[in-house]
Amino acid sequence: MNSEGVEFQVSHPNQEHGLHLPSPTAWPVVLALGLSLLLTGMVTNVAVSVLGVILAFSACVGWFRQVLPEEAHQAVEVHAEPVPVFTARRLAERRPEDATARKILPVETFLITSGIQGGIAGGAAMTVPAAIYGWVKYHSIWYAVNLLAAGGFVSWIGASNAFLSEFHLRGLLAALVIHGITSVLVGLLYGAMLPMFPRYPIVTAGVMAPLLLTGILHSAVAVVSPILDHRIDWFWFVASQIAFGLVCGFVVNLHAKVRTPQFQALPFSVRAGLHSDIDDRYHDESSDSDGEGTSR
Amino acid sequence: MATHIPLDEIHGSQEMGEQTQRKLWLEVLHDWVTTVDHKKIGLMYISYALFFLLVAGFEALLMRIQLAVPNNHFVSPEVFNGLFTMHGTTMVFFVGMPILFGFGNYLIPLMIGARDMAFPRLNAFSFWISAFGGLLLYYSYIGGSGLYGAGSAPDVGWFAYAPLTAKVFSPGHSTDYWTLSLLLTGIGTIGTALNIVATIISMRCPGMKMSRLPLLPWLYLVTSGLAFVAIGPLTAAQIMLMLDRYLGSHFFDTQAGGSAVLWMHFFWIFGHPEVYILVLPAFAFANEIIPVFSRKAIFGYPAMVAASVGIGFVSLGVWAHHMFTVGLGAAENTFFVLSTMVIAVPTGIKIFNWLATLWGGKIQFTASMLFALAFLFQFLIAGLTGIMLSVAPFDWQLGNSYFVVAHFHYVLVGAILFMVFSAFYFWYPKMTGRMLSEKLGKWHFWLFLIGFHLTFDFMHIPGLLGMPRRVYTYEADRGWMIWNMIISSGAVVQAVATLLFVYNMVWSYFKGPLAGPDPWDAWTLEWTTTSPPPSYNFAETPEVSSRRPLWDLKHPDDPDSDYEIGPSRRSRAKKESQ
Repeated sequence: MNSEGVEFQVSHPNQEHGLHLPSPTAWPVVLALGLSLLLTGMVTNVAVSVLGVILAFSACVGWFRQVLPEEAHQAVEVHAEPVPVFTARRLAERRPEDATARKILPVETFLITSGIQGGIAGGAAMTVPAAIYGWVKYHSIWYAVNLLAAGGFVSWIGASNAFLSEFHLRGLLAALVIHGITSVLVGLLYGAMLPMFPRYPIVTAGVMAPLLLTGILHSAVAVVSPILDHRIDWFWFVASQIAFGLVCGFVVNLHAKVRTPQFQALPFSVRAGLHSDIDDRYHDESSDSDGEGTSR
Repeated sequence: MATHIPLDEIHGSQEMGEQTQRKLWLEVLHDWVTTVDHKKIGLMYISYALFFLLVAGFEALLMRIQLAVPNNHFVSPEVFNGLFTMHGTTMVFFVGMPILFGFGNYLIPLMIGARDMAFPRLNAFSFWISAFGGLLLYYSYIGGSGLYGAGSAPDVGWFAYAPLTAKVFSPGHSTDYWTLSLLLTGIGTIGTALNIVATIISMRCPGMKMSRLPLLPWLYLVTSGLAFVAIGPLTAAQIMLMLDRYLGSHFFDTQAGGSAVLWMHFFWIFGHPEVYILVLPAFAFANEIIPVFSRKAIFGYPAMVAASVGIGFVSLGVWAHHMFTVGLGAAENTFFVLSTMVIAVPTGIKIFNWLATLWGGKIQFTASMLFALAFLFQFLIAGLTGIMLSVAPFDWQLGNSYFVVAHFHYVLVGAILFMVFSAFYFWYPKMTGRMLSEKLGKWHFWLFLIGFHLTFDFMHIPGLLGMPRRVYTYEADRGWMIWNMIISSGAVVQAVATLLFVYNMVWSYFKGPLAGPDPWDAWTLEWTTTSPPPSYNFAETPEVSSRRPLWDLKHPDDPDSDYEIGPSRRSRAKKESQ
């Protein structure tokens, strides 16, 4: 035992003198053996199965008689000695409870409207590289629009380049719905995520997130639709994603953050809940009364 | 369920105590065979699993000797088929599940302040029928005959794909032994799962709300729920296979209108949740061991519970990632790619929470903790190769290669077996009253770690080079020899480490220092009773007011209940703020 430890005892003031526990019984093992022999007979000899049936039946009868009408018990004496337990942690003064002991994460965030505005702006920015790509490669700004609309009209995936380069009102409307909903949703996600990035949130969210998303989409689209995968130019796809990320992040970041009730200007480890700032302040005030061995 | 009786009803208890010390071995055997005590049943599960661990480990060694060099004929192809079938089946059904159910049986009633499991007789029955299932499987070496009448043990692989299991391709009874033994052990698994659920739901001590339930029982609850769902399809498939083989039905006979893919679906609807049935208890051990040796409460208890339940649900929807090469279709593949990737989210939450528990803690590098730390790292790697294999095109290239073998051994050995070893070092003192030797434990750890990484790190490489799993031998010009030689050397190192562990257990049982009730300065209820605990577990039913009742007892000035967020705490905080 640790010499600095503190010893306690688990005492039992209301302890019973004796207990009833379920009686030992052979019927479970007999039933298990009977069922095993029953099946073993299928691969050996029918006599083994017959023996199994007899054992299983006997075990069921014996088991029922042991639990009906009342379960059989055995009496057990309870030993009265208290159980010693100890802790290596020296007793220390209780740390003062503080309202900041529990953090609400994130400590500050953007309003929902910021995310929506960012999503709309990012979505608009995204159309520029997409249109440039269509114009450079197919001399039509509608190519990317129709390709996106193929998400709604599956047969368009296999359509000719000439068809995809033409203007189709249905395609424009479908693309607007898909692009609009996706942009707003991702904008909301950015609004929630940006306050959590410790440094350069716009660059992190604007470059890293699109790269990760493209990686996931690239592997998924290859499985879902190899034809669509073949038609997508992934370089331009990344470019348009980054355009979205940078513009959306910039617009969202223009808005003022809303502080959560327990806002503190804390380092990341504290914001993530790994450390509490109480520890540091407590150490500063009374470094000699720290508890040894154990912390919360 | 135990009931209280007055002292005068106990007749001759003192004489009984004296007689106990002079028991003949036959009486001891009778005690163990007829026991319904959850602790003894738990120990029997563990001993039985350890025996089969040595058997299946020996089979693995034979396979590694066979594969160490090209063009080797150390064993015949027929024997090799039997070896990988028996190794896989034994490790999953007769080592992994029994050892984890053994720890669960032993610990759950103690951790929730109960005197036994809810159904003690069913508990004994479940153990014995599982044990007889294992014996029946190995009886096949005497009684069965295998593929084309060659060999005697089952030799159709541990997942026994149709149509190889059809009577025409697998005559004799070897496949029947495999089917019947799994049917028996399946009954035992269902019984134990039922018992665990009933015990946790209905037998918690006063004050132990579900929000205060230790994480080990929580995870066993999820595991048992999974077992309920997963064992059913396996049993159904086994019965259909028996009907095919005995009564001439055609469930899996493709030439008569059946479907071989149907077997695959049934098997993997069981098979993938089975991975989580095995790994969730390993997580449960980590949840108890890492905080104690970090000297901190677990980080993010609610998130850990939510992640475990999440894993339980998601794991039921990922089975077909074992079947990407079947050609299920793009939509199906996509669903199973995404669901498999999704399962990484709750798993990642757990890893971050364990890391956060370690963060800032006063870490004690005991043998138990060393195994737990290695588990953290290795489980991360196993998860990452799992994500790689979850991408269908990647799986098309490497399915049924040694890369897959390396991946799942990283899970089963690197994560599960390491945590089982960790659990042994942690709870052996409670089970026996003696400490395991820390010095031997650290030798065991380092040797096993080196052996593990030699074997399973390098096993990825021949997989990437195209070496298929279950291959009997290979040509020298394939370039696989050096890797296989390293892998086999690592297997030998692991075997030596395992023998050291067995020696440590036996030596410590007789010569190890006395443990006392609470050798680790821990916080859950099992440490409030003697080591080993008495048959009734607790002299008085405990009453708890937090997740760490022993902490509260040791620190009445600073109890956890003052800090834990729960309904009462929230309402108090609300009143204070008003």
